[in-house]
Amino acid sequence: MMLKVFRFSPGMEKPRYDTFAIEPAPGKTVLAALFEAQSRYDDSLAFRYSCRGAVCGTCAMLINRVPRLACRTRLGALSAGDSDPPHSHYDLPHLTEPWDKKEEVLVEPLPNLPVIKDLIVDMDEFFTRYRSVEPVFRPGGPDPEKERLMTPEAVRELERYTTCILCAACFAACPVNGKNPRYTGPAALAKLYRFHIDPREQQGPARLRTADTPDGWWACEFHTNCRRVCPKDVPPDKAIGHARQELKDLKKKETGPGGDGA
Amino acid sequence: MVVHRDQPSLHHVDVIIIGGGLTGLRAALQLSRAGRSCALLSKVHPLRSHSVAAQGGMNASLGNVPGTEGATDSWERHAYDTVKGSDYLADQNAVVRMCREAPATVIELEHMGTVWSQLEDGKIAQRPFGGAGFPRTCYAADRTGHNILHTLYEQVTAEKIPVYEEFFVTSLVTAGGRCTGCTALEIMTGTIHGFCAKATLLATGGFGRIFSRSTNAIINTGDGQALALRAGASLKDMEFVQFHPTSLLGSNILISEAARGEGGVLVNKNGERFMTRYAPRSADLAPRDVVARAIENEIAAGRGFDGGYVHLDLRHIGEERIRERLPGIRLIAMDFAGVDPVTEPIPVQPAQHYSMGGIDVGIEGQSGIPGLYAAGECACISVHGANRLGGNSLLETVVFGRLVAASIIRALPSEPVPADGPVLSAVQEMEAKVSGILGKSGGEQLFTVIDSLKETMNTKFGIFREGNSMEKGLAEISALRERAGNISISDKNRAANQALVRYLELEYMFPVAEATALGAIQRKESRGSHTRTDYPARDDDRFLFHTITRNLNGKIAVSSAPVTLGMFTPEERVY
Repeated sequence: MMLKVFRFSPGMEKPRYDTFAIEPAPGKTVLAALFEAQSRYDDSLAFRYSCRGAVCGTCAMLINRVPRLACRTRLGALSAGDSDPPHSHYDLPHLTEPWDKKEEVLVEPLPNLPVIKDLIVDMDEFFTRYRSVEPVFRPGGPDPEKERLMTPEAVRELERYTTCILCAACFAACPVNGKNPRYTGPAALAKLYRFHIDPREQQGPARLRTADTPDGWWACEFHTNCRRVCPKDVPPDKAIGHARQELKDLKKKETGPGGDGA
Repeated sequence: MVVHRDQPSLHHVDVIIIGGGLTGLRAALQLSRAGRSCALLSKVHPLRSHSVAAQGGMNASLGNVPGTEGATDSWERHAYDTVKGSDYLADQNAVVRMCREAPATVIELEHMGTVWSQLEDGKIAQRPFGGAGFPRTCYAADRTGHNILHTLYEQVTAEKIPVYEEFFVTSLVTAGGRCTGCTALEIMTGTIHGFCAKATLLATGGFGRIFSRSTNAIINTGDGQALALRAGASLKDMEFVQFHPTSLLGSNILISEAARGEGGVLVNKNGERFMTRYAPRSADLAPRDVVARAIENEIAAGRGFDGGYVHLDLRHIGEERIRERLPGIRLIAMDFAGVDPVTEPIPVQPAQHYSMGGIDVGIEGQSGIPGLYAAGECACISVHGANRLGGNSLLETVVFGRLVAASIIRALPSEPVPADGPVLSAVQEMEAKVSGILGKSGGEQLFTVIDSLKETMNTKFGIFREGNSMEKGLAEISALRERAGNISISDKNRAANQALVRYLELEYMFPVAEATALGAIQRKESRGSHTRTDYPARDDDRFLFHTITRNLNGKIAVSSAPVTLGMFTPEERVY
């Protein structure tokens, strides 16, 4: 099994690709293979890691041109025939390196974010958008003495979005993020929606209006890549769809049935 | 207003917080809301901290779920379970403080926006956990750490608290016997920064990764404990290392105790529910030390499966409940072992999980060095003693993140403003040291030495320990330390040099490993997680004390300190 890895350091004119031979072992993950390459062949190989259990969101990268967590992606599953990418096609004009799909696993940094070194990207752009939706709980009234009550159903709906680990796989898979650098992006919009539907907030439409802009809810083109690459099954496209519908309904109400009412 | 002549790499704040997990974030909030400036330094983005991986929950005597025969829970019952679980080594004043603060802490997190799992009546749900006499563990499915960490990070972000992400702390600076700041390597650029502060709080988590088999994140290398030791502070009870009974075979990723709390059972290769033999009353919900030893015994007696594991069977719980209460566990089992717990048992084995010991601090979180504080897993305020109960570690992080920050706030007015000089010279020293490391060539392989050290800790200081074997282990650690002096790394760049970070981490791992080894060798008894095959009984007459380790003339010296008893008198632990 060969690991073909994107290499880049500041000062290089263009990236190169290195190929490392990896000992096959059942269940071996791409992250384990990267550690093997780093310790056996080249200790300058750079990639982020932390939990190795698919909960911390650190190691998202492009594996066979699909954004995934390196720690939960098994080499065996890839070489056994990594069928068509789970997402709709999107252009990655800067990534043209061919690879042998039978013998090699291709590992590259997440697109739509600047590369710092090898597989490490600068996440600032991603977290700037996260901050732009003001992701902090704003209670609808003064704190009660005990907990605010919530129905299990409300919690279930919230949990679809609170499970997001902010790994940026969706951001990297989104064709709109690729062409519109101002687009808020799926993760941040899903986060915004999570606060909007929190029954403890009672902000009315205020949260929705934070992204009621051409580069917010309305920039999405529903490629649904975000949901399909999400390692936690978060559906940002659904959040965006609901948000748009609610905003449309609001506008209808405000303008009245006549269309242009004061 | 004080005007600082801030150089790009020299920073001035009231308080430095080292570590961006639950403790560090909660402390930062407290300090910021009190109008104190702080800098939070973390070697990873705070959301990548190991706190995020905590699955099971947080204990608090909310009493939302009635106990057997309609009994109501109380902080006293929580304290009793905690002290008994600790095998009476916990300091009872610290336990009382934590358990009294627990309900308000869970509620406070809800008020900040944490989504807890709910009962039908809308209150926060609670479930049974090992060693607890009550369904006391509040949870957010099996993603409790994730939910709380994201909440606290959201709060810290809204407060605009400066977070220095991917800053690896390289030394604590002391002047005139006080801690006056630290130096840190900005990993992505290779720049060494200096931080001057009146107080420094260590919140760096545990040291699980000095063991080859650990549930911990790869980043948990004991940095804070080593920094404190080097600065002249003491460590406490380092030999008490928790081995979690159920880690996934192979990757050793945690399979939460919640799996047993929800009804999962351990089964050996003969299909026997063996825990009833070891803990007749609590069975699978006995404390972790008891269950981990039982599994190891079963494996040693030939009743485990080939490859050294047993089964954790959840099938009878049913698909609906597994999907609802244990969705993360199901995903982990499917992703990393190819097993769906709805239809197949999960292969599990014990693995290092938690560090009960840590930086020796008093009830206010103060170390022996003025200006230096510690809280959370890196500290030993001693709420866990010889064995921690599940659900008490998340509780400790948030309770003491807040309380220790509050004690720092009280102390700040009388703390002197530190001079820049010592920090500036420490920055220069660190510059020279890094150049030295990068200048070396030939010699030992970094990763070989790391792996050997971890293997030694695992085989010689694991669940079952024995005097001669541990002495050999200690000698191996010393020999590896010698070899480590000849390590060179090939990457000579300053920026994003992960080999350099691993090298510096290894330097931290050695003293932490030695302190653990020395503590384990001198404690000639079995208590909680520390099991000596050559001294199988607890010995309160000789060993009901804390182990203290500190640097003395370049060597680690071992001494002892009394345990604070109180409401509960030591008795035999039966489950």
